[in-house]
Amino acid sequence: MSLAIEISNLHKMYSGAWSPALDSFSFQVRKTQIMGLLGPNGAGKTTCINIICGLVKRDKGKVSIFGKDPANNIQQIRKEIGVVPQQIALFGNMTAWENFRYIGRLYGLNEATIKERAHNLLSRLGLLQHADKRIGRYSGGMKRRANIIASLLHEPALIILDEPTAGVDVQSRALIHDFLIEYHKKGKTILYTSHHLDEAEELCDEVVIIDEGKFIISGTPKDLIEQTAQQTNCKKLEDVFLHYTGHSVRD
Amino acid sequence: MKKITATIIKEWIMLRRDAAGLMLLFLMPAILIVVMALVQDAPFRDYQELRFDLLLVDEDGGSLASEIKNGLKQSKNFNVIEQINGQQLTDAELKKQLQKGAYHVGIVIPKGATAEVANSANLIANNISKKLGLGGTMPARESRGNSYVRLYFDPVSKPTFRTSISFALDRFITYSCSNILVQRISKLSKLAGDTASANDDFKKVFQGIGIREEVLNDKHNDKAHINSVQHNVPSWAIFGMFFIVIPIAGHMIREREDGSAVRIELIPNAFRLVAMGRILFYTIICSVQFWVMAAIGLWILPFLGLPSLYMGAHGWVLIPVSISIAYAATAFGYFTGALFKTTNQAMPFGAISIVILSAMGGLWVPVELLPSVMQKVAMISPLHWGLESVHHIILRNGNFGDVIKHIVFLLCFGSILWMISIYKNTSRIKGI
Repeated sequence: MSLAIEISNLHKMYSGAWSPALDSFSFQVRKTQIMGLLGPNGAGKTTCINIICGLVKRDKGKVSIFGKDPANNIQQIRKEIGVVPQQIALFGNMTAWENFRYIGRLYGLNEATIKERAHNLLSRLGLLQHADKRIGRYSGGMKRRANIIASLLHEPALIILDEPTAGVDVQSRALIHDFLIEYHKKGKTILYTSHHLDEAEELCDEVVIIDEGKFIISGTPKDLIEQTAQQTNCKKLEDVFLHYTGHSVRD
Repeated sequence: MKKITATIIKEWIMLRRDAAGLMLLFLMPAILIVVMALVQDAPFRDYQELRFDLLLVDEDGGSLASEIKNGLKQSKNFNVIEQINGQQLTDAELKKQLQKGAYHVGIVIPKGATAEVANSANLIANNISKKLGLGGTMPARESRGNSYVRLYFDPVSKPTFRTSISFALDRFITYSCSNILVQRISKLSKLAGDTASANDDFKKVFQGIGIREEVLNDKHNDKAHINSVQHNVPSWAIFGMFFIVIPIAGHMIREREDGSAVRIELIPNAFRLVAMGRILFYTIICSVQFWVMAAIGLWILPFLGLPSLYMGAHGWVLIPVSISIAYAATAFGYFTGALFKTTNQAMPFGAISIVILSAMGGLWVPVELLPSVMQKVAMISPLHWGLESVHHIILRNGNFGDVIKHIVFLLCFGSILWMISIYKNTSRIKGI
């Protein structure tokens, strides 16, 4: 089995924190899989993603991305991964086209390639007619879609999406959803975090639930629902999630 | 190189869409230069080039008073006023006018001043005559009275003004006294039968002796004297250049807040090249800023009645100097952007630190006038090094060799701050 991401016994404690952000957390993502990383607020999802893409140093544990350790090969790994951060990581005072041209250049792409890829992605995500508008003037859903395009210009093999549909309307969500399925069919691996569990249930081949930095459970949505249904009245992934993470509000 | 060029283009797009930032970089320093050059024009002319109304009461009526009056009237600095509303000034009226603040300086030549000076001159001449065995004597009384020429100032006059006027008046009085003495000695010589030196006056006797100001620079022109334009244009241009801290730090913090900085960090091998591109871009902008301000000094200020900026005998040296100042200013902005987490912290720090560094560095008041401790402290201000290097070129006609030390300091200052910023940024991103 060829792995895109392999994480074992990952531990991270931020200075000044009361408890670890990640506590012996382990999971694996196979190549060409869509994996959902699910957990309540503060569960450790973003910390895990930041360690994978080399933005945060781990304290302990093993991390391997396409067989390489980010601690030693982060620049090589970054060529193969496309991260869609939770924030709109674009320059608001620049148009979408200007943003993509700049980001493409930083990835070392030539003008023709940037044009072609940006055009295709803009067209697919319904932003082509808005390409010359400044990002700052985009609606929330448009910004989210542009944020995804910027992360895919270099055609990464692994895409990591941190809450890509947070705060967007139903139409934009559906568009992003369809796009990700289509993109996955090209043989790409996707690691996906979301609070929309219905979306994860529909999109992901497999999900892993994390809470308080610890691994809770993993499996296909269908298996998890069936497994949990034996213990409680469980019909959907959200019920599984609440069963394992509880009903108390997290901050 | 492509990544650096892409960053320069991106920064240019961002800057030209930031109207407030552009105004801060170009319009504000331009206004500052024009206003400060006009405001400081008079003080920078050192009172020597200005013409003051001077009230004069002549109670003496003798040759000493006449010499002083003629000297003052011939001087380009004083407009001698002896009457107000057709009434001859008196000692009391003079004091009243000064108290009112209508005039700032007045002198009273007391009664008997000429007689007192003549008596003193006669005593000295008689003494010399006796020692040289000339035989002749002049009438003199042994006891001397006090006949000081009294000088009054408007109470609000500054000490420097008082000193300047006192020196100028003292020169005329000394000249008059010396002239009377020379005339007395000439008269004694004449009595002793020597006709060659008769009727010589002080000026003729000491012709070729005294003080004459020479120009130090190698072009032998006198343009390079410090004046309001020569001081204010480089000072406020450098001040404005360092205000680049506001847009740089602002952009950096905004990019961190909106997540676009994370995007750059996630692109392989981009972070340092983007930082270099940004430093390079703002260094170019700052250099352009310097030359725009110089252009104002060259072509706009003369329209406002001020002298044109003199660029020195080796004006081209201002190119490397302006680039090194621009680099230091840009690195300071980058450092501020890296150091602070929010714009609320960075903006006041940036603005206040520049004001402090400029005050320390002699941009407001020349370093020579600062206390000795502050003169030493000035050495740590990059604005001081920048201003000194420009002064070397435009005031002392210095060449590249004269400013190499300054350029090295500014480049080292910038590089150290830049390295600290890179470290700080990296450690922040990695959450260490």
